[in-house]
Amino acid sequence: MRVSLFIQSVVNGLNQGAIYALIALGYTMVYGIIRMINFAHGDFIMVGSYTLFYTIPLMVSWGMPAWLAVIFAVLVCVAVGVIVETVAYKPVRSAGSMSALITALAVSVFLENLAMVLFGANPKSVPAIFSLPSIEFLGAKLQVKYLLTLGIGLAMMLALQLFVKKTKLGKAMRAVPQDKEASTLVGINVNRIITTTFAIGSGLAAVAALMYCSTYPRCTTDMGSMMGLKAFIAAVLGGIGIIPGAMLGGLLVGLLEIFVKVYIAPGWYEAITYGVLIVVLLVKPAGILGKNVGEKV
Amino acid sequence: MKKKVISAALCVSMLASLTAGQLAFAEEDNVIRVAISAPMTGGLAILGEGSQHAVDMAVEEINALGGYQIEVLNNGNLADDASDSKQAINVYNSLMAEDPDVLIATYNSACSIPMAELAQKDGMVQLSPGSTNYSLTEIGDHIFRTCFIDPYQGKMASKFAVSQGWTTAAIIYAKDDDYSNGLKDAFVESAAGDGVEILYTGECTTKDTDFTAQVSQVVASDAEMLYFPCFLDIVPLLVQQARDAGFEGAIVCGDGSDGADTTGLEDAFNGVYYTNHYSSEDTSEAVQNFVTKFTENYGSESLNACAALYYDSVYMVYQAAINGGGTDTESILAGMTNLEFSGVTGSFTLNDTGDPEKNVVVNTYEDGVCTWMLTLDPEGNVVE
Repeated sequence: MRVSLFIQSVVNGLNQGAIYALIALGYTMVYGIIRMINFAHGDFIMVGSYTLFYTIPLMVSWGMPAWLAVIFAVLVCVAVGVIVETVAYKPVRSAGSMSALITALAVSVFLENLAMVLFGANPKSVPAIFSLPSIEFLGAKLQVKYLLTLGIGLAMMLALQLFVKKTKLGKAMRAVPQDKEASTLVGINVNRIITTTFAIGSGLAAVAALMYCSTYPRCTTDMGSMMGLKAFIAAVLGGIGIIPGAMLGGLLVGLLEIFVKVYIAPGWYEAITYGVLIVVLLVKPAGILGKNVGEKV
Repeated sequence: MKKKVISAALCVSMLASLTAGQLAFAEEDNVIRVAISAPMTGGLAILGEGSQHAVDMAVEEINALGGYQIEVLNNGNLADDASDSKQAINVYNSLMAEDPDVLIATYNSACSIPMAELAQKDGMVQLSPGSTNYSLTEIGDHIFRTCFIDPYQGKMASKFAVSQGWTTAAIIYAKDDDYSNGLKDAFVESAAGDGVEILYTGECTTKDTDFTAQVSQVVASDAEMLYFPCFLDIVPLLVQQARDAGFEGAIVCGDGSDGADTTGLEDAFNGVYYTNHYSSEDTSEAVQNFVTKFTENYGSESLNACAALYYDSVYMVYQAAINGGGTDTESILAGMTNLEFSGVTGSFTLNDTGDPEKNVVVNTYEDGVCTWMLTLDPEGNVVE
């Protein structure tokens, strides 16, 4: 086993894992607050990526760094997230979790097809976002942008954790899933809390899109579905609804995929990843960091 | 009684007209009646447009020679298969109604194959200009093609490595794709005989976006070149990730990467090569004559490899008629079998299955723009 290949693989795994983690944070946020799996979350990343594709050249022509285009991506994603929540999810919220799930799938298909009509079916190449150097470490060539992705992922996780635990709005967010009626009684505007949650989740999707595009500079209309699925697995693996769990799950899935590809069997990486998910859920149904408490149905 | 008389009279007149038709047919026997089909609408319409121009050009040139004359059926227009296999069957039936001597069809393998099944059954000779799927010519002895088959590029990629002095190679191929598997197998087979050592073979799928695991192993293997026979949508991703991982060697792809988007990756694409059918920048005389005349008459927008292949196909039919000594289907079949031919897309002899082993063009990139590098003959020698 060559040391440089091992180090390279660790960094590659952490990079990919951090992207999964950024997406998983969005799933976990929404699930943690309203107990709903937003299957359209992967497609918010697609929306963010296309926004980046169109706004990066603008940023560059204004003489600003390309990554500032993430501001537009955040704005567009938040707008899309809030609109989807208001138009599609809010009306079916009282109809039960199955209706919400099906609506989310419908929104996902709708967004993908809308994108195909608007942007065409051909993949688009996103211009370079960061021009960061690479460093040599024990014979491995490490890209600083990979480490940056990991850094941003950790920073986002910490910020979210602090926000949910320390602020008044965060406290309200934690109160809503425990008891909606009681929350309303103590003066929490439940609808506003849920909309805010979606806004934050969608904004995170835009940041995830930025990091995704810096590693894989291509957007396609269906990019969200596979990324979304992997990130969902990551969220469940770490314990869905738990913010550090999303980070942990994402990094684990990323590292697992890369190490299986390098050292075990390249053709098997997805089968093994999903297999591990099944095993973890058999042993610990609530995920690695999850607490085994009966859920109120 | 009256009805019987009328029907008898009708029968006689029909028979008479049939005989007359055959007499007329025998009289104009120096005319080759060619039915041609191409994708004229849909995503590949630009290929059809260029092919129509190229066919017009070839027919005009041949007819000016004064020997056998070529008549393109369907009023001189290429019939539209719209890259759709069902439409291809309709096109085949409507073209056959015009009683052609030979069929030139078509670009997409998915269209050419169902047409070839019918052509073989009907005893029609079919020459496909652009279908690279190897199974096409295995349908029967009436089916031929102008382009090389997919796996042949794998062999030529190995020959290209030899011409550049590379002795070690790594491979990443898409396991879920016939094209990629075919090129990979041919590359591996040829490399063994060419003295190119394969140090690493990695797999991916056509839907992957992450190749960091595979390219880090390519780097670790210290191979001089990476063979990546995949399509244009994932080629830019691989090139960027390979360069990011520190791979500085050559990356060689097949014609599936033609048209890959190099935006933002201009530097990374230095040292990327791909094999192709033809390049308008090829400096050989045959190519330059074709390019000059085409551009003068029709501009350069629709000048593509497909047009060059249709141009050569018309000439191959003409050559086959001369060799076979007649313009009927049997003579053309006799002439086309093991035809020796020299044209814009290279010099070759059709083998027993009806496939040519011919010149391959290698393109490379300069500042993200695709440029012609060299042309290899089937033995792997650089064509001067």
